[in-house]
Amino acid sequence: MTKTRRLFHEELQDLTHDVARLGALVRQAIEAGTAAFLAGDLRDAEAVIVGDRAIDQLAHSVESRVSDLLARQQPMAADLRLLLSALRISYAMERMGDNMVNVVKGTRRLYPYLLEPPIQDVISRMHEQAVAQLDVAITAFVERDVNRATALEDMDDAMDHLQHELFRLLFHTHATDDAAIQTAVQVGLLGRYFERIADLTVTIGERVRYMVTGEFPFEEG
Amino acid sequence: MTELPSIRVGPSRSPASGPQEDKLPSSEPSVSDPAEVEATHGPSVFRVENLFFYYGDHLALRDITLDIRPREITSLIGPSGCGKTTFIRCLNRLNDLIPGTRLEGRVEFDGESLYGPDVRAIELRRRIGMVFQKPNPFPKSIYENVALAPRMNRMKGNLDDVVEESLVRAALWDEVKDKLRASAFSLSGGQQQRLCIARAIAVRPEVILMDEPCSALDPVATFRIEELMEDLKNDYTIVIVTHNMQQAARVSDRTAFFTVDTSQGGRTGVMVEIGATSKIFTAPSDQRTEDYITGRFG
Ligand SMILES: Nc1ncnc2c1ncn2[C@@H]1O[C@H](COP(=O)(O)OP(=O)(O)OP(=O)(O)O)[C@@H](O)[C@H]1O
Ligand SMILES: [Mg+2]
Repeated sequence: MTKTRRLFHEELQDLTHDVARLGALVRQAIEAGTAAFLAGDLRDAEAVIVGDRAIDQLAHSVESRVSDLLARQQPMAADLRLLLSALRISYAMERMGDNMVNVVKGTRRLYPYLLEPPIQDVISRMHEQAVAQLDVAITAFVERDVNRATALEDMDDAMDHLQHELFRLLFHTHATDDAAIQTAVQVGLLGRYFERIADLTVTIGERVRYMVTGEFPFEEG
Repeated sequence: MTELPSIRVGPSRSPASGPQEDKLPSSEPSVSDPAEVEATHGPSVFRVENLFFYYGDHLALRDITLDIRPREITSLIGPSGCGKTTFIRCLNRLNDLIPGTRLEGRVEFDGESLYGPDVRAIELRRRIGMVFQKPNPFPKSIYENVALAPRMNRMKGNLDDVVEESLVRAALWDEVKDKLRASAFSLSGGQQQRLCIARAIAVRPEVILMDEPCSALDPVATFRIEELMEDLKNDYTIVIVTHNMQQAARVSDRTAFFTVDTSQGGRTGVMVEIGATSKIFTAPSDQRTEDYITGRFG
């Protein structure tokens, strides 16, 4: 193998590594953001918003390196699929980060109210579910594991159920004062953000499958 | 000047042999895309079956089976010495000129055996044109280079028209129309190669074989030839050998990957797979293809 080609393959490895690192940053944001939201901690919420810039920067770095490698190396086959997947996956992760920013912004809107314990409990489980799915997505990507990637679709059903549960709880509250309505709106939105985050892990799973098998996700049934 | 009549691959006789086997043992070259197998039922320009080729007792190609389809560009890629040149030269019997060579298996051209007893070499060379790696114009004028073969073939029609049409078609006319009597050697390498293409199409062949036609050319000249191929493909069947994978990816409809096999002692060329170019370059079926096109080879 030639030297330039070997360097190219090292760059591909770096890229894989950075996409995984991006996933770790997003995971951190989900953990910290949810904690801040549940605790009503404005300072921690702000830290998540600031931290999102690092996520954006890393995602943009991945994108510009992919574009550079495409132009200079004209990659083929598995290399090409890896680059295209890195692009889509890092974008999905960046979007997860954005959804987390939306979650923590809700902290300000609810302040100083805290949520009822049953609602807190569902949110906490949604966050666990999101983190679990993200972990599977990252592992699937790093280990090129089609089985894990495919499992994400089924895992995502759990998130849909949690969202239902959250909405049911919201409609059980009969208070109609402004604070209660604001709370219901924020919690409803929050459910939506978590659902998006979980959806994006399914997207990552599809991209991993494409990366490994070469079959486009949209070609299937 | 009259329009160059569009050239069609001759009457489509049904091939003598049955449709291609649809199940191949896994160690055999694979047809990448199942849809491909379906499509091979159309008339093929070439149908190569179980071709073995020897230089003396050196087996250079082993058990090659593939179809070349009409009005498509098929590219042959693979490492040096895997037999691409040998193979493409089997398609116009150019190897016959090399003493001590032997071919086994079947090569059909337009439904008939290419190696049959009553195939006439001259007729064959007219129907199957060839362009070589190094531009090789005759030491004559630009005009004569193109006019020679049609004259020898006693083609009907005005010779001036044939020359003009061929040069237009080869995207060279504008550059040479005022100096047709100048020596072909006064042209640049890229122009000489287009002249050789004009010379090849002047006798209105059905197929143009090209063995690394751009390897001696700069990128601009290369892109001109590639554009030209794209245009010629409307009327001709093109088979191109290229070391430039990006070129194969850019221009061809189907790609065949050949490699050197050492498993049976000696170095023998084998075909690993053939398939739609986009498939071969994004998701090849065989690990050997994958390793080669991603540069993990050797
Ligand atoms: N005229 C010849 N006499 C004897 N052996 C030959 C002759 N031409 C080619 N060979 C051998 O046949 C094998 C295939 O050669 P061929 O030129 O077809 O390869 P190729 O794929 O075109 O290589 P390259 O990419 O370098 O042009 C090689 O081992 C070569 O040494
Ligand atoms: Mg050669």
